[in-house]
Amino acid sequence: MMGAFRRARAALFERGAGLLVAQTAFVYLFLYLPIAVLITLSFNDSRYAVVWQGFTTKWYTALLQGETVARVDPTAAWNALLNSVEIAVAMVVISTVFGTMLAFALDRYDFPGKRLFTGVVFMPIIIPSIVMGISLLLFFNIVGIQLGTGTAIIGHVAFGISFVAVVVAARLQTFDQTMEEAAMDLGANELETLRFVTLPMIKPGIFAGALLAFAMSFDDYVVTFFIIGQENTLPIFFFGMVRQGISPGVNVVAALIIVVTMALVAVAQWFQGPTW
Amino acid sequence: MGRDSNDRASGLDAQLVRRIRRNQWTGAIVNLAPSAFWLGVFFLAPLAVMFFFSFGERGAFGEVLLAVENLGLQQYRRFFIPEDTSILVALWATVAWLIETAVPGIETLSATQPTPYVRLLFKSIGYGVLATVVSFAVGYPMAYYIGHIAPERYQNLLIVLVILPFWASFLVRIYAIQLLLSANSVLMSALAVLPFVEQGASLMYSQFAVLLGLVYIWIPFMILPVYSSIEEIDFTLQEAAMDLGADRFEAFYHVIFPQSKPGVMAGSVLVFIPSAGAYVIPELLGGTDSQMIGNFIASQFGSAGNWPLGAAGAFVLMGVMLLSIAAYQRGGGELG
Repeated sequence: MMGAFRRARAALFERGAGLLVAQTAFVYLFLYLPIAVLITLSFNDSRYAVVWQGFTTKWYTALLQGETVARVDPTAAWNALLNSVEIAVAMVVISTVFGTMLAFALDRYDFPGKRLFTGVVFMPIIIPSIVMGISLLLFFNIVGIQLGTGTAIIGHVAFGISFVAVVVAARLQTFDQTMEEAAMDLGANELETLRFVTLPMIKPGIFAGALLAFAMSFDDYVVTFFIIGQENTLPIFFFGMVRQGISPGVNVVAALIIVVTMALVAVAQWFQGPTW
Repeated sequence: MGRDSNDRASGLDAQLVRRIRRNQWTGAIVNLAPSAFWLGVFFLAPLAVMFFFSFGERGAFGEVLLAVENLGLQQYRRFFIPEDTSILVALWATVAWLIETAVPGIETLSATQPTPYVRLLFKSIGYGVLATVVSFAVGYPMAYYIGHIAPERYQNLLIVLVILPFWASFLVRIYAIQLLLSANSVLMSALAVLPFVEQGASLMYSQFAVLLGLVYIWIPFMILPVYSSIEEIDFTLQEAAMDLGADRFEAFYHVIFPQSKPGVMAGSVLVFIPSAGAYVIPELLGGTDSQMIGNFIASQFGSAGNWPLGAAGAFVLMGVMLLSIAAYQRGGGELG
């Protein structure tokens, strides 16, 4: 009995490679099928957006001409997009500078309380966004800061710094510090060494950190929702639309968002190698 | 310093600048200051405010009472202990309820039910554990394939394909799941050929939809760390084990799998934490029976209007997450 079980088990593992291919294909299908269905349905010639009724580009044309399709107002969507980009760009600039400096400090120096401080740096990545959003809301209320895109940027930087710092610090760990010593021996001062030796070598890490921070900011719904007041961002606009149900207008906006973001990221990854 | 004080001021300045530049602390302070300030003021201070709120009390009109006489542990008590019972009864009620839920045969171990908040907390932990287990079961074989079996030149492409959805909009992907699970969708129409699936059935607004959403969003976080530990394994050890008489399963189980454990542990923490703390996924995919602790916290700060209770719930949730990280570190895992 035991022997039979063992033989069956071993046989299963002998044929493992074939099963693994099937399994892997299944996971890719799982990851991409919903996206494929979404993009397909954005060309669906039906008011009730789920059942396929034939191919049309009329929803795209209507939205691009500024007409409202099933409650989706393209002007509002456009303004929300502009807000999202503004917040994400401001956030990336600030967090990339501060986060990179922080990564250097954590990599190069030992100071009292470093372990605790490192823990604090990880916290914004770990804690649920709902807690972060609400706590910032309470804080802004108490301090008396008017909510708007400004507060949204402040809140986003609070988690952006951590993402950049973690990615850059990982890069710095593999950094060969003798290169810096060599530059200094050859007469470069600290600033020149930083500018011509250190930064060029860790540039991929900084780029990856900035990309991650941008994605996190651009995609964030929960934190932003609590701290942006009356303003809109693309995720907030989109969430409101999804709440009202499936519709051709939402399908088009969703398809556009996913195609554009995935294309941009694919290009970035092409230049950069796999980034995560 | 004493001799230099007679020198010209500029000389003193230059020396001071040099001393500051040479000082071992300068670099650390300059590099740390902006982030420490930002994290202190816009991250820790808000959390401290919220923590303070969790000791407050709700006034008659939903306002928050934070005077000294209102401060106390009442919200935490309310969260964990049913009214008119002691800590011990509440503890037993919780344990009994967990056993009752986990073991089908047993039904009434304790007369007292744990508070709805405790049940919600454990339900969220349950979602987190389930999402982690499913992600592991589905993701591990795939990571193994990509890291060990797939031809080397395709590895990068395959891994990029795993990461790519993670970069794409979270909300849009949840909406895509909604499109698949709604009545009359492609998937549901295909499933309707099965005898036990009704025509026009929908899987939306259910516990299944929430679990599927969690796995769909977070599975890359399981695959990536497992892939990177499998990729580093020296597979000649497997051959060695088999030369010494192990069959393929034994070689995998005793030799290969233990070496991939760091990746599995990191992946588990990365999937468990955001799953247990989810808010948007149950909000969009779940129904009334599939809300989680995140939704409870949000509703206390919204329609339910009990901020101190919501704040207490938030800190209980963060306690759970800290515990899971502590367990991870105790198991030898490292942050970062």
